[in-house]
Amino acid sequence: MPTIRLENITKKFGKDSIAVNQMDLEIKDGEFVSLLGPSGCGKTTTLRMIAGLETPTEGEIYIDGELVFSEEKGVNLSPDKRNVGFLFQNYALWPHMTVYKNISFGLENMKWEKAKIDARVNEICETMRIKEYMNRYPAELSGGQQQRVAIARTLAPNPRILLMDEPLSNLDAKLRNDMRAELKRLHMTTKATFVYVTHDQSEAMTLSSKVCLMKEGVVQQYCPPLELYGEPANLFCADFMGNPSMNFIQCHGKAHEKGIDLNCKHFAVRFTPNHPVDLSDGEYVLGIRPEFVVVDEKGSIEGRVISSLPSGMETTLSLAVNDVTFSAVAFGSIDFAMDSIIHFGFSGDRYVLFDAKSTKMITLGSLEVLSV
Amino acid sequence: MKKKLNHLKTFFSKPYNVLLLIFLVVLAYLVVVPLFSIVKDTFIVHSAEKSRVRQAVGSFTLYHWNRLFVSQYSNSLLYEPLMHSLICAVFSCIVSVLIGGGFAWLVTRTDMRWKKVMTKLFIFPYIMPSWTLALAWKNFFKNTAVGGAMGIFTAATGIETANWFAYGAFPIILVTGLHYAPFAYILIGGVLRNMDANLEEAAVILKTNRLRMFARITIPMVMPAVMSTIILVFSSAMSSFAVPQFLGLPVRYYVLTTELYAALQGTNPGVGYIIAILMIIISVLIMIGNQLLIGKRKSYATVTGKSANVSVFHLKKARNIISLLAGVVVLCMSVIPMISFMLQSVIIVKGDYSLANMTLDFWIGISKGGNDIMDKAGILINSDVWKTLFNSIKLSAIVAVGAGTFGFLAGYSIVRRRGSKLSRIVENLTFIPYLIPSMAFAAIYLSMFSQSHGIIPSLYGTFAILALIGTVKYLPMASRSGVNSMLQLSPEIEEAGIIQGIPWIKRMTRIIVPIEKSTIVSGYLLPFVSSMRELSLYVILVTANNRVLTTLLFMYDEKGWDQYSNAINLLIIFVVLLVNFGVEKLTGASIEKGVGGSN
Repeated sequence: MPTIRLENITKKFGKDSIAVNQMDLEIKDGEFVSLLGPSGCGKTTTLRMIAGLETPTEGEIYIDGELVFSEEKGVNLSPDKRNVGFLFQNYALWPHMTVYKNISFGLENMKWEKAKIDARVNEICETMRIKEYMNRYPAELSGGQQQRVAIARTLAPNPRILLMDEPLSNLDAKLRNDMRAELKRLHMTTKATFVYVTHDQSEAMTLSSKVCLMKEGVVQQYCPPLELYGEPANLFCADFMGNPSMNFIQCHGKAHEKGIDLNCKHFAVRFTPNHPVDLSDGEYVLGIRPEFVVVDEKGSIEGRVISSLPSGMETTLSLAVNDVTFSAVAFGSIDFAMDSIIHFGFSGDRYVLFDAKSTKMITLGSLEVLSV
Repeated sequence: MKKKLNHLKTFFSKPYNVLLLIFLVVLAYLVVVPLFSIVKDTFIVHSAEKSRVRQAVGSFTLYHWNRLFVSQYSNSLLYEPLMHSLICAVFSCIVSVLIGGGFAWLVTRTDMRWKKVMTKLFIFPYIMPSWTLALAWKNFFKNTAVGGAMGIFTAATGIETANWFAYGAFPIILVTGLHYAPFAYILIGGVLRNMDANLEEAAVILKTNRLRMFARITIPMVMPAVMSTIILVFSSAMSSFAVPQFLGLPVRYYVLTTELYAALQGTNPGVGYIIAILMIIISVLIMIGNQLLIGKRKSYATVTGKSANVSVFHLKKARNIISLLAGVVVLCMSVIPMISFMLQSVIIVKGDYSLANMTLDFWIGISKGGNDIMDKAGILINSDVWKTLFNSIKLSAIVAVGAGTFGFLAGYSIVRRRGSKLSRIVENLTFIPYLIPSMAFAAIYLSMFSQSHGIIPSLYGTFAILALIGTVKYLPMASRSGVNSMLQLSPEIEEAGIIQGIPWIKRMTRIIVPIEKSTIVSGYLLPFVSSMRELSLYVILVTANNRVLTTLLFMYDEKGWDQYSNAINLLIIFVVLLVNFGVEKLTGASIEKGVGGSN
């Protein structure tokens, strides 16, 4: 059961620069976990520490129940003894070896029999659909083909854990989409544990069973992607996930027994929490996903269309309410004239209330417009 | 008809077309015509050969070819020197790659001590004249049997050095190998430093052990750099003249270059011209071999990943001893030779290194009117030396400006018309002087310009021929760096100026030149420094009234005036270092950086 556990892992570069700060993380067998975050957040460092390519400054790492690193106990298993596969961002194919040799090289290291190696290379090339390129050199392949070779090389020894460092970032948009589907399929068929580093929130959303969102070396939220999207732990998580991003409205709240009345500069709304919580008067941030800004003739708020970007399936709108701008999504093939006035309102119970000071999420709830 | 005229008009309205045509004509005359001239010269009788050939001067003869290839003298004239040249070149390559590559590995991949200082000093021989180490070797290890006086080593230890150790193949190989070790260090070190760490990490993850990784990943990755080092060192060693002259001649150990020199200076220049042609053929063969070796299939273009921190190999217990050993080698290549020159330039009686035997006379002593070394004025107050120094600087400056300017313009026009036949021809023409060994090139110019051709008078013995040959010889340096940097500059930058109606001259001086400033400066610096320390290119073309420092040094060495030759050597090194340092400070461009791309 290859579970990966990080306990209190810290990594410092030099004296002052902290890449990862006291991180605890448990990745269960067969999961597809994405380490997500803006560049410099420590996600790649975390992945490399799991592989053993980077040595943590503090903490312990367990793989499959075995202690592979402990600062305290002086344990540091070298990468080749951790039984992991690693897929590099730039593929790291050896340019002087053919595709076949690139894949068989690792198997030779593991003292496989020749016939078995040959069978395995052929099999994995079949799976990755690169059989006709087996005798080519990496420079003679396209980016997508190189990517497949890199995956084949990593998968050939049947690793139970596969670590991937932004493997799709060097591909063009169309190939990237194809490879996403392929990776998800591979996860199903290999039943291995996947750890995947990316800075692309939609990639993390679509691929993973769990997302670990990081910022400046600290885990912000670790949960399934839809939960991360729907119930972000704080303003950073809310802002990072989703495109176009969530609308944030600064407001002053007056609490009462049913919920809280929020006074938001150009309008006032009543926020009713889905579950009872203690609220007091104070400063709040109201988070509204663009799809919950409901464009509707009967809506009580008026907005002026600043931009309308129809993509066919839906149209992304920017609406100005005086000096506040709202992003909204209208579904279907529609376009709106620039500077036209349209109405919108709110419905459902997916509105998020944040504490303005701590930026933490307080609760989800529904909205009702009080005055405009 | 009118259409054709318009066509021509459009063609000539583009400045780079005009430039390319000019280069085509001029280079054809300065590079291609001389090649024919020298071939012709191998079939005719020269005035120095009247008595041996017994034919009229200028008449057709096969005497030279016969004598060189199928006579009883062939062995000593051709086959033996050729063998010597090949042996020295091959083993020099091995020395260079082992020492330079080993040093590169120590610097980039281990925790060796004092890396910063050592790398600076290790590059030193590359900046210095090629004979520096040879001269130092002689200072240390010469013996009384051949060298007249004993060297520093014998004086200090009482051990008389053997002839094979002091002179001939062994020291030539060692000295040449050490001199070009910086090439190996720069080329191989560059690959090791820029090599994507992920390539090795990928191997570690796939359970590759250290030895297998070194043999199967690291070595193959640096192989192209090793190959280009070998090509570079091999052709440099084949065409090196000063080192075998200083270390081989005392024991009559001849190589092709020294044989060529002897033939041209002696009574049979025709034989010399054939040797020059042979050297060119060898050089071209090496280049063809190089082209064939660079496989198209495996591209070694290093896609750099984001992980730059390669794990450093810990030398552990060996750390101190290896650092010390490397330090000693580095000192032997850089500082110790300097000390030997200083020492040698102040002793009165050769072989006696006691303090009582030292004087500054050879530096600042006043002239006593005689014509022996003891009577001449010290080099710092000697007007002849100053005149020569000035001549050297004048020559190098002209060569630098010529090669640098034309090289840059050639680079510009070649890149602007890239893909066209004209551009390709000019690019190849600018490259030819690089293929021709210096001394063979000088032989060609000797053959070509010793008589007048049409409006061009005989240039032999003039300053002009030195300036001309220097400019043409160093053109490849400047034009290649010009091409490389212009390739990186997108044409849109100039086109933006064209759209606004800015004329060509202004586009060049106000847009292109400022952007390419550092390339242009190093395009001037490299030829200047190279020319300051050039011997083999100038030595057969120089006459008494236009000597340069290097030929003066050579002359003093031949006379056995070691004090002067060592002092002048220091003077040359001083000027070279000064210029190098000055330009480095001024522009940030440095010789070392130029090595990778332009040479």
